[in-house]
Amino acid sequence: MGRRYSSAAAFSMAGALAACDGPQSALRTGGVDAAQLAQLFWVMLAGAVVLWLLVNGLFLYVTRIKTRSLSRKWAEALIIGGGIVFPTIVLGALLAYGLTMMPDQRAPGDGLRVRITGEQWWWRVEYWPEGAETPVISANELRLPAGLRSEIELTSAEVIHSFWVPGLGGKTDMFPGRPTRMSLEPTEPGSYRGQCAEFCGASHALMAMQAVVMEPAAFDAWLAKEAAPASLPEGPGRDLFFREGCGACHSLRGTEAAGAVGPDLTHLGGRSSLAAGILPMTSEALARWIFDPASIKPEAHMPAYSHLSDAELASLAGWLEQLQ
Amino acid sequence: MQDKPHRSQEQEFSEERSSLWRITFGPLVWAVHFVASYAATAAFCAKWPEPETHIDLLRLGVGLATLVALAAIGWLGWLAWRQWDFLDDHDYAHADGNSEDRHEFLGHAAFLLAVVSFIGVVYSGLPALFAGSCR
Repeated sequence: MGRRYSSAAAFSMAGALAACDGPQSALRTGGVDAAQLAQLFWVMLAGAVVLWLLVNGLFLYVTRIKTRSLSRKWAEALIIGGGIVFPTIVLGALLAYGLTMMPDQRAPGDGLRVRITGEQWWWRVEYWPEGAETPVISANELRLPAGLRSEIELTSAEVIHSFWVPGLGGKTDMFPGRPTRMSLEPTEPGSYRGQCAEFCGASHALMAMQAVVMEPAAFDAWLAKEAAPASLPEGPGRDLFFREGCGACHSLRGTEAAGAVGPDLTHLGGRSSLAAGILPMTSEALARWIFDPASIKPEAHMPAYSHLSDAELASLAGWLEQLQ
Repeated sequence: MQDKPHRSQEQEFSEERSSLWRITFGPLVWAVHFVASYAATAAFCAKWPEPETHIDLLRLGVGLATLVALAAIGWLGWLAWRQWDFLDDHDYAHADGNSEDRHEFLGHAAFLLAVVSFIGVVYSGLPALFAGSCR
């Protein structure tokens, strides 16, 4: 019996610890902001453990160790002291601690602005380097330079979303017609997972993103590449793309495909994931997605291209994957 | 003879009527302080958002409003404490329908509301002390 309990406890403990180390953990911190929030979490957890021990210790004491009744004076002191004065002071101290953190969490950026628009169910991402007059448009992936504070402007197209990359910082809601802002200062290069944190429709749970933190020089090189127009390999995939009218909704910068309804595909193959963080960037996944998007992401607005043959899907997907 | 009980009842009634209003004064001060500091901060930060100009003026204003509100609630709380008259009879319960019980009950309630309002004002004034920025 005891053994079964202890193995169950060990199992849940292992599960809990494994969850702390994943790409979407708020405790595996990759930046200044998330580190501050993790510290707040540990302070509050430690306080909660102490209070739990105190309350249950007291409970044990009065029910098992000293069961005689308390004098009225002591009972009143316990109720007023432990029920009013103590929580007022503890909550006041926590409030002051939290308030001193807020200006840091919302400090202005060093130069780069990233404007992220929540769509059903993907992210439109625009990079505005300092002094830029037009943005570098991308989607479903956020790249940030390490060691610099980037300004994140948030808005939404139709419904409320919430932007959250737990490994990098706190979450901020995105509203249609009302821009909000936050800023992030990542420090550890690496890959982090973000997730929409406000219910936004059928595929809310499938609205994720990769956040990639890079060394500043590598970031600048990546951004220059991302800003370049599409280089289109020749082949049947290219003809299919234009024949099927993909450009009515998707952009390939530098070509006649200039649609702005769906994600920009100029450098699609260079992203680390497909369909807002839920599929790998492979030609197989691309073919599956194009064949029937709604079977992967319920109620997705992109129509199914199930009339294409397997060979056509494969060549279109293979061509898209080459858009680095 | 007939006139006297009638008059004392009326007096008592008028006294309780005013103190029935009085129990709302503590929360009212809290509400006014809350609305005033939030409205002032919103207007101020909309006008001077980024460069932290004049921010000390706002902090000073909210700080002063907090002190005034706390003093007012403290005074109301003191009046209510005296009306409750706890140290006289250590009476927590006011179950009898007589005028003394009504009188002390209203003092008791006003005192507790003043305590809550005092804590509320302290908490809503804390950002001026610790955040000190429009961010």
